[in-house]
Amino acid sequence: MYKLFKKDLKLFLRDKRSVFLTFLLPILLISLFAFAFGGIGNSTNSAKPIALLVADVDQTPKSKKLISKLDSLDGLRLILSDLKKSKTQVRKGKYAAVLVIHKGYKDSLFARKNPPVELWYDEAKEMEIGMLQHALISTLMSEIGKQNAQQNIKTYLNKQFPAMDSNLRNTILEDAVKNNENNKASFSSKSVLKLTSISGDTKENRNLGLIQAVSGTAILMLLFSVAGLGTSILEEKENGTIKRLLFSPIKGSTILYGKMLFAFFIAVVQLTTMFLFSWVAFSLDLSMNIPALILMILATSFAVSSFGIFLAAISKTRKQAESLSTLIILVMSAVGGSMIPLFIMPVIMQKIAVFSLNYWGIQGFYDIFWRALPLVDILPRIGVLVGIGLFMTLISMQFFKRNILKLI
Amino acid sequence: MIKVNNISKSFGAIKALKDVSFTIKEAEIFGLLGPNGAGKSTTINILNTLLQPDKGEIIIDGLPNKEERKLNIGMVPQEIALYEDLSAYDNLLFWGSLYNIHKDELKKRILEALKLVGLLDRKNDRIKTYSGGMKRRINIASSILHKPKILLMDEPTVGVDPQSRNHVFEVIEKLNSEGMTIIYTTHYMEEAERLCDTIAIIDLGTIVALGTFQELKKVSNATDLLSIKLADLKPILETDIFKKIPSLKLNNSTNTLEVACENISSEISIIINKIQNAGGVIKSIDTQTANLESVFLKLTGKQLRD
Repeated sequence: MYKLFKKDLKLFLRDKRSVFLTFLLPILLISLFAFAFGGIGNSTNSAKPIALLVADVDQTPKSKKLISKLDSLDGLRLILSDLKKSKTQVRKGKYAAVLVIHKGYKDSLFARKNPPVELWYDEAKEMEIGMLQHALISTLMSEIGKQNAQQNIKTYLNKQFPAMDSNLRNTILEDAVKNNENNKASFSSKSVLKLTSISGDTKENRNLGLIQAVSGTAILMLLFSVAGLGTSILEEKENGTIKRLLFSPIKGSTILYGKMLFAFFIAVVQLTTMFLFSWVAFSLDLSMNIPALILMILATSFAVSSFGIFLAAISKTRKQAESLSTLIILVMSAVGGSMIPLFIMPVIMQKIAVFSLNYWGIQGFYDIFWRALPLVDILPRIGVLVGIGLFMTLISMQFFKRNILKLI
Repeated sequence: MIKVNNISKSFGAIKALKDVSFTIKEAEIFGLLGPNGAGKSTTINILNTLLQPDKGEIIIDGLPNKEERKLNIGMVPQEIALYEDLSAYDNLLFWGSLYNIHKDELKKRILEALKLVGLLDRKNDRIKTYSGGMKRRINIASSILHKPKILLMDEPTVGVDPQSRNHVFEVIEKLNSEGMTIIYTTHYMEEAERLCDTIAIIDLGTIVALGTFQELKKVSNATDLLSIKLADLKPILETDIFKKIPSLKLNNSTNTLEVACENISSEISIIINKIQNAGGVIKSIDTQTANLESVFLKLTGKQLRD
């Protein structure tokens, strides 16, 4: 029995792929998910400031003071912008939110009214918004509380001691305000900062969770099915049909393009079916931007099918392609937002996500269904997907010649 | 006519072909006979343009370039290169469609090909339900839909039962009778003997001998063997039988006389008479005619299946 055990252990350790899949892959995935959920590296992440656009419409010393105070916070990086531009940037998903200090901010402080300060935000960036909200409300309440206390004491002193020396009055005022800095009880957080989502105009008809589930899952499943189609090239190599195709008048490149065309077709049909199902079963409004949806389906299908062929082309055997596909797709989907929504991932993970195909596909569908962007604003993402597809095709062609067409 | 002039091909340090030359006449069945790794498949793959020789050239009458050759050469690969989940008809439809044959004409040719290989009644069955021999026959049918002038067959009967093998032979003979030139590689002697007009024996990338079977037999000095078992060897040993039959050898352990003959059928009666006249009592006679196996052994010093 020991001899058998020893033999199996030897065989196992010699098979580097098995060792990798058994130990390293799970470790890699655990680390990835833990990182994605914020389980590790918190200190590093919290040190990264969150970018916040600020549109100061009030343009008074009081509004500037508020901006200055916010700017001094470690966790925030303020970017001053105008109202229209910043709104567009948030709607396009470039920034999480814009803090709008409306006209009348200064007056509201003196009148002890709710300040006209508003946070326009992208709901798809939930995690960043949560952190921003906390920092903003705390600063605002401190500012308003101070101003409020100052006003109350000033009124009281004027009324009760009209003849008081102005120096003494100021000293009392400063001390009182200092002692009263933490008095924020008279304002609720809701009255201090108004939160407004600006992700599209008809958001009541949209469901972020559904959009995430549909686009994330659709791309993940698409990657798996197209990778399967890609590996059929290697199956054909193994059973001799590729060789037979090469005896015929068709060219080697035609074989690759033929496979790609089929993978592309299946991808288009699969994605379309998934969206139609989401429309029928979950009432996902497909009519929001039909041209953009069609282009996104085509571009995503092209990128994904090229990726499937690429996986097959870089592999020498079907087994190799299968394990490689599983590994790459799982990692890419975890990073790219197919498994975990990007908006709940740490900022650093969101930055890494751009290196995955899933990211561009999912964000493109977010642009259509969540952000309700016009086609022209979605075109850059479509362009990236097409670019990925072309790049993968070019590389695949080189590897295809080396690994697949080299039969003897 | 196909002229192969001094072709050489190496794969890294391995010299697969070394100055191979031969000529194939139109409408003949040319056999390339050799063990595994001898260079048969490399030669075939150079003929079908899949590989380029490092040196030498191939001249095919009427087919000057690669495109012409692809359109006029059929290839039956060693593997059963078919789509198992498609029916025989759909497989043929696919392979035939690569040659830009008009749809109606292709359908006609598919039915003809299926009839030729004897599988017309199974045309709609999936390939995976076929026996090995039937798959081999569809493998051939897939290669002749474009009516090639030359058909290259790379060990087309590997793993085939005798009945299917005979069917394959009949197909080959039929195609050849219609004027198709066939180049046939095999390591089965009996196949080459039965089918081929000309045989090239190839070993370690070199053509060892080339000619008809009779010519190869002559070149290799391979002889027929007559074995005569006697009741008792003693009486005959006391005669001058060894002078009368110079090639006679004794096998004391089995009481057998062994005689090498150039042509056993014409010599057998004379030898038997001489033995009987010398007092030998014959118990049994066994004949073994020279075949490619013995020719190959004589020429290369090794068994073909080594």
